[in-house]
Amino acid sequence: MDSGNNQIEKMQTENMPEKKSSRRDFLKNMSIAAAAGSAGLVVGGCSGTPATEKMGLKWEEYFKKHYRLMTQEEKDATVTRLERLAKLERGINVQISDQGPHEQVLFGYAFNISRCKGYMDCVEACVRENNLDRRTKTQYVRIFEMDPGQLDPSAGDGQYHHEVPVKNKFYMGVQCFHCENAPCIKACPTKATWREPDGIVVIDYDWCIGCRYCLAACPYWGRRFNWGDPEVPKDEINLNQHYLGNRMRMKGVMEKCTFCIQRTRKGKLPACADACPTGSRVFGNLLDPNSEIRFVLKNKKVFRFKEDLGTEPKFWYFMD
Amino acid sequence: MSKFSYAAGLLLGALAAVILISQAATASGSPGSESVKDRIEQAIEPFDSLKVTTAYPLPVKTVEAKEQYQGGSFKVLARKDQITRFRCSVCHNDKMVKVRNGALFTHSDIQLNHGLGRNQLTCNECHAIENRDVLVDKQGGQIDFDHSYQLCGKCHFRQKRDWLGGAHGKRETYWAGERVIRNCTSCHNPHSPAFPTKMPATYSLPLDE
Repeated sequence: MDSGNNQIEKMQTENMPEKKSSRRDFLKNMSIAAAAGSAGLVVGGCSGTPATEKMGLKWEEYFKKHYRLMTQEEKDATVTRLERLAKLERGINVQISDQGPHEQVLFGYAFNISRCKGYMDCVEACVRENNLDRRTKTQYVRIFEMDPGQLDPSAGDGQYHHEVPVKNKFYMGVQCFHCENAPCIKACPTKATWREPDGIVVIDYDWCIGCRYCLAACPYWGRRFNWGDPEVPKDEINLNQHYLGNRMRMKGVMEKCTFCIQRTRKGKLPACADACPTGSRVFGNLLDPNSEIRFVLKNKKVFRFKEDLGTEPKFWYFMD
Repeated sequence: MSKFSYAAGLLLGALAAVILISQAATASGSPGSESVKDRIEQAIEPFDSLKVTTAYPLPVKTVEAKEQYQGGSFKVLARKDQITRFRCSVCHNDKMVKVRNGALFTHSDIQLNHGLGRNQLTCNECHAIENRDVLVDKQGGQIDFDHSYQLCGKCHFRQKRDWLGGAHGKRETYWAGERVIRNCTSCHNPHSPAFPTKMPATYSLPLDE
């Protein structure tokens, strides 16, 4: 009896993809035809106008798959569509990358709390690199001024407005720690957030439903929510983008630090580490025994924030 | 017969459950079952970061460092082409300088603030009296301006050890590719090496906002 039931179920699941895709194709064709038809009515039967093209692209986008289920061709197709949409909607020529991870690479970060001077150049560089919303002042990186003995940045002051560094204070930066055992990933009901093989925790913005469970699950305040459409001045938009990184987000989705995936997968340092004038930020490949980050882990006093939670963050603090 | 088939079904079900559980365990635990620290410790094979072909050489002048880092060679940013009016011996020679040109040629912009209290350094503790085109250490050894880390490290040996390994200072733009790091003088003004106080670029909201 049992095995018989199993067999039926198995058959059903085997048949499912075909059924689903045919239904999907049917809907897609219908909708494109409808879009073209209605647009045609509005503009007087002239096909191939930007409005029609935009509507067609948007329909195609609406029916695309989860990023992890896409084949390379499908990834390239959606990237091409998004680039074209950016051109049509904002009049900018963006390059969106879908570059995958390198083998034998696991990204890690170290922050020197005895050397940071609290200049916050990293925060500013991050905002510009990642096209963060200027209106609500979204920031991935935050710096807090701390009293000696404190090690919890929630007790620190981030809104200082005086010359830094101040004597007998130290400065502590926080951002997404890209946990190996990330609670945000477990909390997501749509699997819109996951850890890539090179250790970066990313979000598929088109698969996020905006429930903010991940925001509540993260013990490090690492995630940000878009309550409205992010606003970035047209001439300040960073045109080098990544599908999982700094491409323009939309209203109602989560976003967070991606270790500047658009930079780091090309071998560059993240924008914060590149901008730091004091050398407090060390970034590199944890699987390479010759890397700077491995030297820090081996030779310095290091600790991780809330290590007892077992989240395994790949972000260490160290001191000289 | 029916009893037999029932037992077989039960057995099959139990088997399936066992397989499912073991699969779930391996799927959830493949990277997570060992801690990330163990994974890092087990990684002893050096990564060939030249494989990352998008990390191409920068349009900045670099020189091959005269020391090794973790067994490998590396480059530092050049210093000499950053010094205005190098070579120094163009002025510092036997010829006389006219008094009216003196203001232009003296280094009146230099604020010397290196060393604490009564241990303030003077010019000739780093600059060679006889040959102004090089630096000099206390043993009389001549040091090229491009390799100033050799001189700075005489006193700041802890910082130099960290700098060689990568815990002090920083890499230039790339984490991959050829290792190019900043020289001491790329970040520190050698005459006044402490970082200045200045206004922060922006501010941060409290964590729970």
